Amino acid sequence: MDLRYSDQDREFRARARQWLQANIPQERRPASGKAASQFDRDWQKKLHDHGWAGVAWPKEYGGHGLSGLQQVIWYEELSRAHAPAQHVSTTYVALMHAGPTLMARGTKDQKTFHLPRILSGEALWCQGFSEPNAGSDLAALKTKGTVDGDHIVVNGAKTWTTDAMHADFMELLVRTDPASERHKGLTWMICDMKTPGIDIKPIRTMLMDDHVNTVFFDDVRVPLANVVGEVNKGWSTAMATLSFERGLGFIADQLELLEKVGRAIELAGELRLADGRLAIEDDEIARRLGSIKADTMAIRAMTLADIAETDRTGIPGPKGSMMKLMVTTTHKALSQLVGDMLGWGFMEFDGDRASNPWTHDYLWSWVFSIAGGTNEIQREITADHVLKLPRSR
Amino acid sequence: MYLVPEGDELEIANAAAEFIASALPINRLHTAGNADMNGAVRSQLAEMGWFALALPEDKGGSGLTAVEHALFFREIGRQCGPVDILAQALAAMVCKSADVRDALVSGTASAAVLVPEGNRHRLIGSASATHGLLVTPQSASLHEMAQANIEARPALDPANSLALVENLPAPAESQDGAHIWRLGQIGSAAMQVGLAEAALDLIVEYAKVRETFGKAIGSWQAVRHTCADMAVMTEAARAELWYAATAMKEDRGDMEAHVDAAKHLANEAALKATDSNIQLHGGIGVTDEHDAHLLMKHAALLSRLFGSRQYLLSRLLHAKLED
Ligand SMILES: Cc1cc2nc3c(=O)[nH]c(=O)nc-3n(C[C@H](O)[C@H](O)[C@H](O)COP(=O)(O)OP(=O)(O)OC[C@H]3O[C@@H](n4cnc5c(N)ncnc54)[C@H](O)[C@@H]3O)c2cc1C
Repeated sequence: MDLRYSDQDREFRARARQWLQANIPQERRPASGKAASQFDRDWQKKLHDHGWAGVAWPKEYGGHGLSGLQQVIWYEELSRAHAPAQHVSTTYVALMHAGPTLMARGTKDQKTFHLPRILSGEALWCQGFSEPNAGSDLAALKTKGTVDGDHIVVNGAKTWTTDAMHADFMELLVRTDPASERHKGLTWMICDMKTPGIDIKPIRTMLMDDHVNTVFFDDVRVPLANVVGEVNKGWSTAMATLSFERGLGFIADQLELLEKVGRAIELAGELRLADGRLAIEDDEIARRLGSIKADTMAIRAMTLADIAETDRTGIPGPKGSMMKLMVTTTHKALSQLVGDMLGWGFMEFDGDRASNPWTHDYLWSWVFSIAGGTNEIQREITADHVLKLPRSR
Repeated sequence: MYLVPEGDELEIANAAAEFIASALPINRLHTAGNADMNGAVRSQLAEMGWFALALPEDKGGSGLTAVEHALFFREIGRQCGPVDILAQALAAMVCKSADVRDALVSGTASAAVLVPEGNRHRLIGSASATHGLLVTPQSASLHEMAQANIEARPALDPANSLALVENLPAPAESQDGAHIWRLGQIGSAAMQVGLAEAALDLIVEYAKVRETFGKAIGSWQAVRHTCADMAVMTEAARAELWYAATAMKEDRGDMEAHVDAAKHLANEAALKATDSNIQLHGGIGVTDEHDAHLLMKHAALLSRLFGSRQYLLSRLLHAKLED
């Protein structure tokens, strides 16, 4: 085992740090609306124009073909520079799982058209998997796709669709074989969000925002050429998407945690508790902070171990679910703790992440532990695939 | 950058696992009188050079690093190996006198752990050990125990004897600095990781065969999810242990923080995993004939060595980390 970075790694880190220091957006990200997605597109375009988009994407797809480790370095430098947060960005789905799914399963034409647009921030994506009666049990989905000539005609509804109103395209999973059950008979396709028949209704959330939506489909015609994988074999493509989402999907957040813990410790040295002592002088607060810092160090060690292994074998390990459990619980513990330190300051919130990121983080902790497969489902996956326990279902 | 044991590291770990499973199998602890390292095991371990793994070559050791040290003690932990093995290896590193060092490495001398307790000292390991090893973050000292006044005390953990020492003799040897303390932290953290892994293995196997209401208990979610949580904590502790041991090998500026974190995470994982392992076994889990309580008791012992929770966490708070 070794922890040494190569000269190229060190040089890459120095270059990234220098560029980010000079180029991080100075203005706040708007809390919502078109202004927010425009901000995300602009930042992604800037990254792209200066050669920082798709750090670990293969060169043939417009990326830089750098190692997984360099990707880790890049995310570390982003959080150190206080770059716009990855998890709230409307570029998230496109970059973290739509792009990778197309690389793995798309046709040549699909890749040529979409991948450059994703990298440059020109195209934003959303994920149309979940339905009102198909969340954890995704294979229960009912949205219907009927093959009609060289199109598939879609009818039904998707829900919890993050950023659907901003997206140009959707990862759309539908049931194309009406006689099929469960995992069989599904199709994964690229749906252009400007297609007639799509109606988007926002859902107000406890974060005081409208970033998730229900998306209704009324005779929406999607060209067969937009199918990724094969008709009726979409489950396999969907599993690829979820493996990207659950594999590296949280990498920015898991690496950002250390930075956040550092900020929380600084804060504890400045904030006074009701009894006049500094927060850090309180034994309970100090211990909780120390223990969260240790957990966060372990998360970084787990990330580096996984990445180095994947760089060597080319195959991501089965541990993404364990990582998601560790990251989401640590994230929640940290925002709860800072909430305790902040006292009433924590209770002031108007929905704008920029004005109170800690309260936003606390509210987001449930998004983390529910979206992308709930923590209960991650425990199920760990039990099945890592521990090989007998199935519960 | 590579953080998974490989090559020679794995060979050492496998050799250790095989030897320890036969020389010190955990089931020895179901027979009374098997606390501590007996003379025969000590000679065998000495013969294979296990006490001199991390001892520099010019002192007659193998000159290996904190990484091999961690890999070895993880295997010791899996079999609830006594902490006097760790004491013996560390004591040899404290010696300036070649005679005493050789005696420890060859197993003709023996060591037990000493911990200050009020105005006395607690002895963990055999009361007939020739030497007591007292390690603090500032220094390590070796005490000849022949003249010491030792009062045996009953021990919760059958892996190690406990005693109290009145009037500890002045040190025969000592060494300034934190090096021995760090290796003690890494060694005990590695043992805790081994214990957590052993507990997880036991319950995962049992959960596949024990049936209730016509199904294997491993298909009940209360059982599955607890096992998944055990697995996550164990994985986290193991990853940080590898990081810390490698940081120590490379003498990185932030190694102390990583060693403290590794010990803390290993304690948490072992305490939780050995606790849940008993619970998920049901009644059989509290019986004397089962291994589950042995793991729990040894984890409780190890969590009291090389830094309390309070000590580890308060140091961590202000520690600076490197990339
Ligand atoms: C903020 C937010 C954003 C989202 N964004 C998207 C998106 O962009 N695109 C998309 O497709 N989806 C999205 N989702 C949907 C998300 O994937 C689902 O909410 C999630 O998978 C859970 O499904 P559900 O809501 O139907 O809950 P249910 O499946 O009904 O679960 C209810 C509860 O039961 C538990 N449970 C269910 N089954 C089991 C089981 N087998 N064992 C143990 N416990 C179980 C769950 O853990 C949960 O606690 C988003 C969700 C949220 C909250």
